[in-house]
Amino acid sequence: MSPKVLKIAVTCFVLAGALGGLMYTTLAEGTEYYIHVDEVMKDPAAWQNKKLQLHGFVGDLRQRPDSLDYKFHVQFNGKVIDARYTGVVPDTFKNESEVVLKGQLHPDGFAVEPNGVMAKCPSKYNPATAAPRTAGS
Amino acid sequence: MPLLGSFTLLATFVVAAYALAACVAGGRRRSRALIESGVGAFYTTAALMTVASGILIHAFVTGNYAIKYVQRYSDAAQPLAYKITSYWGGLDGSIMFWVFLLSVFGTIAVAVNRERHRELIPWVVAIIAAVEMFFIFIMVVHNNPFDTFVAGSPADGKGLNPLLQNFYMAIHPPSLYTGFVAMTIPYAFGMAALITGHLDDAWLRAVRRWTMIGWLFLTFGLTLGMLWAYEELGWGGFWGWDPVENAGLLPWFTATAFLHSVMVQERRGMLRVWNVTLVITTFFLTIFGTFMTRSGVVQSVHAFGEDPWLAKLFTGFMVLIVTFSFGWVIYRLPLLKSRHELDSWVSREAAFLANNWILLFSAFFVLFATMFPTLSEAVRGQRLTVGPPFFNMWMRPIGLALLVLTGVAPLLAWRKSTLTNLAQSFAWPVAGAMVTTAGVVALGITVWASVICFGLCAFVAVTILQEFIRGTEVRRGTSGADIFSALVGLVARQRRRYGGYIVHLGIVLMFLGFAGQGYKQEENMKLNPGQQGTVGRFTVRHDAITVTSDDQKQMITGHVTVFRGGKAIAELTPARWFFAKHEDQPTTEVAMRRAPGEDVYIVLAAYQVDTQNATYAVTVNPLVNWIWLGFAVLAFGTGIALLPERAFAFAGVSMPEGTATTTLLLVLLLLPGLAGAQTVVPRSELRKQLEADIMCTCGGCMAPMNNCPMGAGCHGLKEQSEKLDKYLAQGMNRDQVRAAFIADHGGQDVLAAPLDEGFNRLAWALPYVVGVSGAAMVGLVARRWSRRADGTAATPEAPPEDALRARLDDELRDLD
Repeated sequence: MSPKVLKIAVTCFVLAGALGGLMYTTLAEGTEYYIHVDEVMKDPAAWQNKKLQLHGFVGDLRQRPDSLDYKFHVQFNGKVIDARYTGVVPDTFKNESEVVLKGQLHPDGFAVEPNGVMAKCPSKYNPATAAPRTAGS
Repeated sequence: MPLLGSFTLLATFVVAAYALAACVAGGRRRSRALIESGVGAFYTTAALMTVASGILIHAFVTGNYAIKYVQRYSDAAQPLAYKITSYWGGLDGSIMFWVFLLSVFGTIAVAVNRERHRELIPWVVAIIAAVEMFFIFIMVVHNNPFDTFVAGSPADGKGLNPLLQNFYMAIHPPSLYTGFVAMTIPYAFGMAALITGHLDDAWLRAVRRWTMIGWLFLTFGLTLGMLWAYEELGWGGFWGWDPVENAGLLPWFTATAFLHSVMVQERRGMLRVWNVTLVITTFFLTIFGTFMTRSGVVQSVHAFGEDPWLAKLFTGFMVLIVTFSFGWVIYRLPLLKSRHELDSWVSREAAFLANNWILLFSAFFVLFATMFPTLSEAVRGQRLTVGPPFFNMWMRPIGLALLVLTGVAPLLAWRKSTLTNLAQSFAWPVAGAMVTTAGVVALGITVWASVICFGLCAFVAVTILQEFIRGTEVRRGTSGADIFSALVGLVARQRRRYGGYIVHLGIVLMFLGFAGQGYKQEENMKLNPGQQGTVGRFTVRHDAITVTSDDQKQMITGHVTVFRGGKAIAELTPARWFFAKHEDQPTTEVAMRRAPGEDVYIVLAAYQVDTQNATYAVTVNPLVNWIWLGFAVLAFGTGIALLPERAFAFAGVSMPEGTATTTLLLVLLLLPGLAGAQTVVPRSELRKQLEADIMCTCGGCMAPMNNCPMGAGCHGLKEQSEKLDKYLAQGMNRDQVRAAFIADHGGQDVLAAPLDEGFNRLAWALPYVVGVSGAAMVGLVARRWSRRADGTAATPEAPPEDALRARLDDELRDLD
């Protein structure tokens, strides 16, 4: 192997190693588990205090009068989790709408982080009528 | 009609197949006649696709709801403009639009380069025709936009998604597609060069120009996407690292890398394999981006339909592209040998190399993070996602590093920079950066990334300024012209170099806007009428909630007064619109007070009509408008770099002294005049407008005059109507009448929607209009001068500008 090729190889290796290592460590902080309600309920204790993106359907939505505090159920495949949230919700956030919630599971329910409500918004390629999938599909 | 459409698509497929076959055969046998017929067939595909597009648009405009696609994406109530833009509102139509654009671009590219690159043309045509065939194939067998209902056709359509019924959405996708599609042309030229083995640097010119055009459209599309997200989606930001956005960003990175590294190849004959690879990668990423967003491989909250069949088809096509393209690269490796070695790491080519690595790494990173959920599911069976914070954490330092290079590279010489050289060039920019950083810190901004970004912006800006000043000085010294003429002459002489600097300036302006995002302030507030809330330096007072409607939608409008330092500075009307047939997805109509320093951005988050209370999400967004302005500057710079040789022929001959200055002054004088020209609204139109503007006072109906539920007999309506007639008789215009009503009533809640949206739009459009008209004007003037230059061809060449030559010695043009 000529010295030039060696030099390039070593540089690439070191760079790739450094960036890869850095990426791996930061990834650990940045990741969130994308998970459905029924999967969590199989073993709720295991998922507590982890960053989750909880996928399910809204039910029993209640708002405390004169506030931005919401309490509701998230359900999927027959399993239900209590959730609470304070803040502005998207237009499509209502009973039976499909949502992805960012936050953490605590013993008393799922705490949604600020701006953590993402209602599945109908894309332009999927008209509204075709969008909602039935639970369990 | 639909049958004719389907038939046209089929015919296009056949003709494209013929073009491919004829050109391959002609290219191999060197048969001129075969190639000619292939090119003719290729032009025909463009004609056929135009016909097909015409048929589809006709179906939309006439409301032919027997066609499934038309029924799904339009309805009778839609304004004409949105009926036309529904063409690319869905998957099937967007693929057809893609093919249409590709055929048109291909035709232009072939027609322009036919003589210049004769030996490449058959292969260029073959490649483009093959890509066209792939997309037409998808349409014909799977996503035919001309599919009709089997039994019975609905009377009306479902209507386009209200979110897409918006000015930006009408122009954003076509612009992005245009960028995507234009990237096919450089790929076709690159492959043609590989296949024929004509790998001299001539083909690079065609490739470079088309990449620049594609890059401009891509940038335009991305910027419009940001603008749309900012104005329409109402979450206060403009970039959310959504897979769909990322798909557009990926080829942008590689195209940007190519535009830089191609210079190294031109000047130094290096990086030839690298450049070919970048061209191929860019094209691949455009296809990959389409695949990612259309096939449901990546799940995003913008849930695109899952379509395994389409996914398989695209995967096959991508595998084919990679093996075919890189197979040729490997086969031609001996011809792609580098002519030089890197002399020093303190040189411009090294800076370009670093820039390339960073850009490529950005592309890789964004790709990786976007695909991460899919990858983790495949590898670990557990869907893990990464959010915007992860992207931001990585892209912030990457962006800043790129910004550093933007400033450093122009200061370095080709081959090797000497220390004295460096000290001279860096003194002013570094000083500028330090002063700015200190100033920003003194102003109380503590977000480190923003502070560094401001400092670097100053660094780059001073660098660019310094380059312009030095060049102008030198030219002034040699030609004796006045400062503006010297400047124009300088830019004309080296359009790409100075056009590139202007592009960099645009990028700097955009970075100002990105830096501002670091310290934006957000607040949610629930207010009763008369109550106030505070965000940053601004106080927001909620006045009222009104309900109005027109034939397409019902509008809930919040009326807000914004104060700064106790003074009312704006009255805003954030709203919710409920479109008919889409009542469950109201659109958020953001109200903004735009200013160069900071935008006040208000969203009506929730409301109660009976108690009149409202919840507003208020964001103070610093410097965000510089992003849009930055794009205008960037487009202007790209335009200069793209101007053909001929347009600047005058630069070679001596110009009458002061020509440029006079022109500039004229342009400056003309522009405000043009902007100030206003159309006068006819009387009856004005009255109609005002009836929609002004609320009826009959008490409790909460409707504007033209929509009062109590009808003509209403006493409040009569009262308002008489007042309106009186004011109109006095010759007042719309604003004056509204002001008078507010004065009479003692509050602006007498207006249904005081904010004139049209004006807002004009305000943002102005920089673009100025940029475009400026570029057009420059082009026109340049053309005229060049024509005169033709007439006076006998004029001796300007004396060689020794000083300029000396300074530009580092260009090494003669050494290569």
